[in-house]
Amino acid sequence: MLRMPEFEVHHPTTPEEAVALRAELPGSMYVAGGTDLLPNLKHRLHEPPHLIALSRLSGLDRIEQDPDGSLILGASTPLAALAGSELLAASVPGLVEAAASIAGPQHRRMGTLGGNVMLDTRCLFYNQSRPWRQAVGGCLKKDGDWCHVIGSAKACVAAQSSDTVPMLVALDARLRALLPGGERRELPLLELFSRDGRFEQRHTLPPEALITHVHVPSPGAGHRSTYRKVRARSAVDYPQLSIALAATLEGERCTALQVVIGAMLPQPRPVPGLHALIGEALTDEVCEAIAEKAYKAARPQPQLHGEPSWRRHLCRIETRRGLQQLRSGPQPR
Amino acid sequence: MKQVYPLTINGDVHEVAAPPHWSLLEVLRYGLGLTGTKQGCDKGDCGACTVLRDGEPILACCVLAISQQGHELITIEGLADADGPSPVQRAFDACGALQCGFCQPGMILSAHALLARDPDPEEATIVEALSGNLCRCTGYTKIVEAVRAARDLREAKVFADRADPGPFPRHLPVAHGPPAEGFQVIGSRGRKADAIAKATGAAQYTDDLALPRMAHGSILRSPYAHARIRSIDTSAAEAMPGVFAVVIGADMPTPYCVIPWTADEHALAVDKVRYIGDAVAAVAAVDEDTAEAAVQRIVVDYEVLQPVITPAEALAEGAPLVHDHDWKGRARRDNVCKTVELSFGEVDQALADAAAVVEGDWSYSGSTHAPIEPHCAIATWDPDGRLTLYSATQVMHYLHRELARVLGLPPDRIRVIQPTLGGAFGGKSEPFDLEFCAALLSKRAGRPVKILYTREEVFYAHRGRHPMDFHLRIAADAEGHITAVDNDIVLDGGAYHSFGLVTTYYAGQLLPGPLRFGSYRFRSQRVYTNKPCCGPKRGHGSVQPRFPLETALDELAQQLHLDPIEIRRRNAMADGERTINGQHVPSCGILQCLDAVEAASGWRERFGQLPFGRGLGIATSMYISGTAYPIYPNEMPQSGVTVLADRSGRLTVFSGTNDIGQGSDAVLAYIIAEETGALPEHIRVVSGDTELTPVDLGAYSSRVTYMAGLAAQEAGRALRGLLIEVVAETLQCDPAALIVVPGRYVLASDPDTGVEVADALRMAEAKLGTPVSRSGGYRTRELGGDYRGGTIGASPAYSATAHVAEVTVDPDTGVVRIEHVWAAHDCGRAINPTLVEGQIEGSVYMGLSEALYEDMAYHEGMEARRRAPGEHDRTRGLHLGPNLLDYRIATSLDTPPITASLVESIDPGGPYGAKEAGEGPLHPAIPAIANAIHDAVGIRLRTMPFTPQRVLAALRQAEGA
Ligand SMILES: Cc1cc2nc3c(=O)[nH]c(=O)nc-3n(C[C@H](O)[C@H](O)[C@H](O)COP(=O)(O)OP(=O)(O)OC[C@H]3O[C@@H](n4cnc5c(N)ncnc54)[C@H](O)[C@@H]3O)c2cc1C
Ligand code: FES
Ligand code: FES
Repeated sequence: MLRMPEFEVHHPTTPEEAVALRAELPGSMYVAGGTDLLPNLKHRLHEPPHLIALSRLSGLDRIEQDPDGSLILGASTPLAALAGSELLAASVPGLVEAAASIAGPQHRRMGTLGGNVMLDTRCLFYNQSRPWRQAVGGCLKKDGDWCHVIGSAKACVAAQSSDTVPMLVALDARLRALLPGGERRELPLLELFSRDGRFEQRHTLPPEALITHVHVPSPGAGHRSTYRKVRARSAVDYPQLSIALAATLEGERCTALQVVIGAMLPQPRPVPGLHALIGEALTDEVCEAIAEKAYKAARPQPQLHGEPSWRRHLCRIETRRGLQQLRSGPQPR
Repeated sequence: MKQVYPLTINGDVHEVAAPPHWSLLEVLRYGLGLTGTKQGCDKGDCGACTVLRDGEPILACCVLAISQQGHELITIEGLADADGPSPVQRAFDACGALQCGFCQPGMILSAHALLARDPDPEEATIVEALSGNLCRCTGYTKIVEAVRAARDLREAKVFADRADPGPFPRHLPVAHGPPAEGFQVIGSRGRKADAIAKATGAAQYTDDLALPRMAHGSILRSPYAHARIRSIDTSAAEAMPGVFAVVIGADMPTPYCVIPWTADEHALAVDKVRYIGDAVAAVAAVDEDTAEAAVQRIVVDYEVLQPVITPAEALAEGAPLVHDHDWKGRARRDNVCKTVELSFGEVDQALADAAAVVEGDWSYSGSTHAPIEPHCAIATWDPDGRLTLYSATQVMHYLHRELARVLGLPPDRIRVIQPTLGGAFGGKSEPFDLEFCAALLSKRAGRPVKILYTREEVFYAHRGRHPMDFHLRIAADAEGHITAVDNDIVLDGGAYHSFGLVTTYYAGQLLPGPLRFGSYRFRSQRVYTNKPCCGPKRGHGSVQPRFPLETALDELAQQLHLDPIEIRRRNAMADGERTINGQHVPSCGILQCLDAVEAASGWRERFGQLPFGRGLGIATSMYISGTAYPIYPNEMPQSGVTVLADRSGRLTVFSGTNDIGQGSDAVLAYIIAEETGALPEHIRVVSGDTELTPVDLGAYSSRVTYMAGLAAQEAGRALRGLLIEVVAETLQCDPAALIVVPGRYVLASDPDTGVEVADALRMAEAKLGTPVSRSGGYRTRELGGDYRGGTIGASPAYSATAHVAEVTVDPDTGVVRIEHVWAAHDCGRAINPTLVEGQIEGSVYMGLSEALYEDMAYHEGMEARRRAPGEHDRTRGLHLGPNLLDYRIATSLDTPPITASLVESIDPGGPYGAKEAGEGPLHPAIPAIANAIHDAVGIRLRTMPFTPQRVLAALRQAEGA
């Protein structure tokens, strides 16, 4: 069987204890559901001497709603719980769709929201066994100094491949993290991501940061959301590209809109320039104009399967279809 | 360092002692011997390792065992209770949902969890719940049926009588039809002998075995697509504590090949490496961690050479040579492995006279078998120098021969055992490096050695479908009769020969039929490239050319304003006809197949009339029932079967066949039951062991039911004759007055007077002495065309198949969805209809999966401006995804309903009229889908797979035109 590096496993029971261990043990890593980390360890992408298992932390696996209507999602919440949540289906159906689209039924029971947000970036030249990577001399992200995707010694374009992230960004979600010394930090999810896909550089938070919650602001009246995932087969497949859409509709008029492209670059990419269209009704022409903006904003790279030009074309199609779906509802459930 | 901790599994508390970095899967299988939980990828892609944690399915390979304390774990072993197997397990058995069974423990646990939370699931819910469990055998059809049956069975409490989990209990209400008219057993939907063992996790696959003191092996593979080995330094590896032995190519210098006279491959590379993943050295060590660490310490000095990745590169003037010498030791001048040119009739004339001609270039992409069980071998030596090799092989006999050759050991000192096999499809039909390495390492280490391929190594071992490029011309007269087919074929063979010369012939020789050709010419050329070696995959060599033929035929029909089914009818061969290349086809049910799919699909009302984006397509095929000539020329029978009677009332059937999940053991049992009157539950089949069984050449070319079936029939008949005589003597009647009814020999005139079969066995032993036994054999008749190569593709019988596929095409995204496939297959006689349907459903599945999703794609190199600094472009020849996540095989959600119908043409030569069912039904899937895409959106795709990108590009081109 595939070999993981040798490590010790620690099972803290409180977030504070977990963060303290993480800070104490150099090179250690958190493991939640393990569905991203264990395959990566088997590929020898990391060789941590210690793993800090988050499975026994209590109280972080709940989906709660504040009196103001905003949602507090614990980092240990299994993806299956997100996908099956009545509360979320009623308020942010796009998030339910995103969670339900992840991998297969077993992964969704094991995988957690925290792990999904912190998912490592993915690339054809990275998510491979050690012998495979040795054959190409490593890459910029791991054991090498060259990005074979874009032919550069500077930038790593491994794709942010989480399905919930683009949706949560479209929903203006904020991340709550615990840092060593008891410091708590809250930041807009979008700000977590850097332009560099390398493991250590991909996030703006320090590596010891433990994600405790994701906060989704109150969706409010007229709020609608949907998630459109492009993949080659219908299950157990990461996105080749995705479009997350969230809007507020007042009658015909669209008073708020976010369109976020996922599985393209190390960062989720909000489609810019939409404010010009805010306040308009979502007519076919307006939908087309927004789809055109998504197309223009799209820069898929050949780091995932699926031709970049096709994935870019799909940005337009899926944005248009997503908007049509938002327009016609029935949402929220 | 091991740590000790408790785990609660199946209600038992185990004190586990394992290193903390072991996954739950490793602890279950290797630590606790709970081997019912399977491993197919070890990284979360396949679902074979599914277990229940607090009632919910999870993947044991993706969690740490040490973190599972405090949970209730259930493995497949824990699903049965004191009453016997659970309803789900029994339903899987009863419905014929188990073929190789390797995916099934995981599948059954997913199904069990579903039924626990939703006792009455909709079909869509079932399909979704199983979408994380890949099955490569069944097309999910009978699995979904079984989940529904489990629900029904559980509610009806029909398992009240669960005390009897025997192999063939009669009380199972599902899937038991009556036998065919005039038979006792043949034609009934009996259960498979090994099904309940597979469903309960009791069946032992190779990696489930562990021998005392067993060491683990690991293989070092080439990081270069093409390089000369200057030297190998193994000293650092050898010096590591826990390393028992290291071997390199020089230790096994004799080349081998499944075809003995084209040996161009070594157990480990001796002079050159020829693809990324080619084996270079192997280590045996105390555990897997040490073996892998030792492999990393072997230092190989390579002189890197320019690789050739595509056939075009390989055929270019002055191209680097993949092999410097051919198998006879002569210097090579080019990379051509084999060329075949044959011509029948006046092709040029017919083309000139034709009313319609279609001509073009087609390209078939490579695909691989992807059985869920990775290859595994365990070698052990007796103190007196005899080798026993357990291996996940489908051709035990050929492996036996090549082991003797490479190891320089007399064959009588070698025993090859094939444990239960987790799928093969042609991917385990020749010897592989791990078998030789395990044998030699075990000898050197003085202890048993196991080598288990990683999933990535399975991709490198490959021997899958050859990519082929075609230039095809097809012509017809005004009535639509095919007057000429002219095909120019280039096969991308990869680095070694494998079955190469057979494949090169098959690509041409198997095309004429079940449709009649007025004239035929082909030129077929197999080329070496620096990639993993191609070989036989289900429908060896002949699946690919059906794609250009059957799609071009559709175009021809369009030109001639003929219905696509009608044009096929006009060309349909009849029973007893010869193909243009001289193959005799004793029975051909293609017309009935066409009728069946036409009616079932509503073709007449719907073809050409569905809304834009939805369409129907048809295609046909023919396939061999074994090859008349074995891989090495000899005068001996291809198959032998011995039946041995025991005074307990049991009949034991000895056969060298390899049951690879298709159910050949069960077929042999049915035949012996039919012939002798013994009830199937009193028959045991011993197969897959070269020391215990008469030779059978193995599970390839769809030969087993036909050839071993005839041998079994002969053996069974002889035994019956003997028993009837003994009974007649006892009853003092004429033997001719006796007839066989299930379990008894009785007087035809007075069926109440008779003798139980078991008593007859004892009478025979008393009269004739021990043992009471009879044998049968199968030899092929002289067959084939009277020209060089005319015997290749000659078979005693040919199956026929027709498919109608219904697809939807999204014209905005290019995404194709298959909505339904109707497949009618002429199997001659269905010895067990459930098994035949299973073969059809699985074939359709495998075909549609390769049509839409699968591609053995390799990097062809970087544009100069993107290339990493350095002398060589090291991306060339890299496999683009040697795992079950990037190499996408269809999940349950991608698989449409498949309607299988059986056509029984009763072949004059086959056992009870039977012929093949395992491979033919795959062929039409690809062209039927291509033709359906045309009906849906008006484009003709000539390159596979039919990805959204290709569909969209073709649509744009059509719009532009
Ligand atoms: C075959 C397969 C298919 C998949 N398909 C998809 C897919 O389609 N879409 C998709 O989005 N994902 C997919 N995944 C990935 C994975 O299943 C999910 O992303 C899952 O949500 C990861 O969560 P986890 O708890 O298992 O993470 P883990 O593997 O435990 O952790 C992932 C990373 O996050 C870090 N981490 C985890 N929790 C925290 C925390 N609270 N604070 C800080 N860091 C943390 C870990 O250190 C690690 O680096 C797939 C995985 C597999 C094996
Ligand atoms: S072995 Fe665990 S998913 Fe394949
Ligand atoms: S029966 Fe499912 S993989 Fe063989």
